[in-house]
Amino acid sequence: MSNSLLSTTDLSISYGAVKAVRGSNLEVKEGEVVALLGPNGAGKSSTLRAIVGLIKSQGSVNFAGHDITGLPTERIVSLGLSLVPEGRRLFPNLTVSENLMLGAPRKAKSDDLFDDLLDRLPILRERLQQVSGTLSGGEQQQVAIARALMSRPKLLLIDEPSLGLAPTIVDAVYQLLSDLRKTGLAMIIVEQEVMRVLKFADRAYAMSTGEIALEGSAAELRTSDEVKRVYLGGAE
Amino acid sequence: MDALISYLVNVISLGGTYALLALGLAVVFSVLGLINFAHGELMTLTGYVLLAGILTGQPFWLAAIVAVIAGGISAALMEFAAFRPVRNASGATLLMTSFAVSMLLQVLFQNGISPRGQAVPVPTWLTTSLSIGNSQISKVQIMSITVGVLSLLALKFFFDRSYWGWAIRAAADDFEIVGLMGVKASRLITFAFLLSGLLAGVAGVLWVIQRGSVDPLMGFKPVLAAFIVAVIGGLGSLTGAVAGGFILSAIEIALQTWLPPNVMPYRDAVTYTLVVIILSIFPNGIFGKKTQEKV
Repeated sequence: MSNSLLSTTDLSISYGAVKAVRGSNLEVKEGEVVALLGPNGAGKSSTLRAIVGLIKSQGSVNFAGHDITGLPTERIVSLGLSLVPEGRRLFPNLTVSENLMLGAPRKAKSDDLFDDLLDRLPILRERLQQVSGTLSGGEQQQVAIARALMSRPKLLLIDEPSLGLAPTIVDAVYQLLSDLRKTGLAMIIVEQEVMRVLKFADRAYAMSTGEIALEGSAAELRTSDEVKRVYLGGAE
Repeated sequence: MDALISYLVNVISLGGTYALLALGLAVVFSVLGLINFAHGELMTLTGYVLLAGILTGQPFWLAAIVAVIAGGISAALMEFAAFRPVRNASGATLLMTSFAVSMLLQVLFQNGISPRGQAVPVPTWLTTSLSIGNSQISKVQIMSITVGVLSLLALKFFFDRSYWGWAIRAAADDFEIVGLMGVKASRLITFAFLLSGLLAGVAGVLWVIQRGSVDPLMGFKPVLAAFIVAVIGGLGSLTGAVAGGFILSAIEIALQTWLPPNVMPYRDAVTYTLVVIILSIFPNGIFGKKTQEKV
C-alpha cells in the first residue's frame, strides 16, 4: 500500500450563503490517478481551486506531509502541487515560450525540463515564439499542461482536459497524460467524459450537489448502475 | 517641411511623456485593477525632489536620478501604507483610496512647501536650441525625446526578457493564474508600484524641465491625460498605453498648431470629441481585450 500524497478532511466551500462543497474527504496516493466526476455545479472545480488555495475553504488539506490549509497559492505550488485550470487560462498575449518559462520557479534551472517537455510535445517547438492566444484549442491544452509541469509537481490537478476539443485531440491529450503517469506523477482529473476518464483512472469519486456521493475503484464505478443512470442515462 | 519637423518633434516629446505616465497607470492596473489617481502626485513629488537637489547645489543629472528613485520608493510606500490594507476591497474602495492619497499629498505640498509654484532653475546648457534645417529645436526637447525613447526601449526589453516583466504582462492577462505560477502576489504588486513610480519619476523630471516650475497641483492635468491615453489604448494593455500616448499627443499638438485662432479656445473640447469618436469605433480601446464573461 503506497503512501497518502494528498488528503482533504471535511473540506467545505461557500460562496456567500451558498455551500458549494460540504465536508468532502478525498485522498490521493503517490503515483495514483484519481477521477473526480459530477454534473455541472457539483463542486468539482471548486474543490480543485480550494486545494491550491485559489479560494477560501473550511476543513483541512494535507499534502506530502504538510498541512497546506490556508497557505497562499505560491507556497502550495512550491511544495509540488500544480493546477491546469478549467478553460486552460493561458496568458494569451505571452508567447508559448514565455508561458512555459513563467511556469517554472524564478531561480530554477529549467532548461532540461523545458527541452524534455518539447520532446514530448514537438508541435510546441515550432510554436515557441507564437503568441499563445493564437493557438488551436488542442495546442493550448498542451501548453497549459506543459506550463503546469514546469514547477515539477508531484500531483497535477487537471480541470476538464477534454473540454471543447475534438475527439482525436482528446486522444492526444490522454496519450500525454498516460506518458506522464509512467513517470510516477499523481493526478486528479475532473472530467465530463466519464467513460474515458474511468478507463484511465485508478480510482474515482463522484460528487453531487457539493457532496461525495460515490467512491471506489474506476473499474467498479464503470459498472455501477448509479453512475450509468446519472451520467449516461440522462446524457444519451 | 519645417512645420512638419517641428510638429513631429513636439508629438514625440509630449507623446513619450504621456506614454511613460500611461504605462505607469497600466502596470498598476494590471495587478490591482485600479487606476491610481495619486500617480500625478508622484510626478509632483519628483519635481520637488529635483528642485531640492538643484537648490542644494547637486549636479543636475544627480538631482534628476535621485528624483526618479524617490518617485519609485514613494510609490512602493504608497502601496504599503494605503493600498495594501484595502487590497481585497472593491474597486470603488481602491479608487476612493487613490483620490484620498492624491488629496493628502496635494495638501501636504501646499502647506508644507508652498501653495504657489516654485521656479526650477534648469541648467543653462539645457536652455539653448539647435537648428535643424530652418527649425529650432530646444535641447530640453531633444533630451525629452532621448530619455523618453530610451526608457520605452528599456521597458520593452524588460517586459520581453525578464521574469518579472513576463509576470507583469501575465498579470495584465489573468492575475489569478499568475499566483498559480508560483509568483508571490504581494511581491508582484509592490514591484508593479515601484516600476510605476519610477515611470512617474522619469515623466515628472521631463515635465518639470519643460515647464521650468513645480507646483502642488501640477500632477493633475498630465495624469488625467495619461488616464485618457490608457483608455484609448485599452485599459491594461501595455502596448496600448504607448500607442495611446502618441495618438493623444498627435491630436493635441495638431490642434495647437493648426487650429484657427478663433476656434483655439475650444481646443480641449475638440480633442475630447475626437477621443470619444475613437472610443465609439474601439469601445474597449484600440488594443483592449473584449470583456470576457467569467463563470
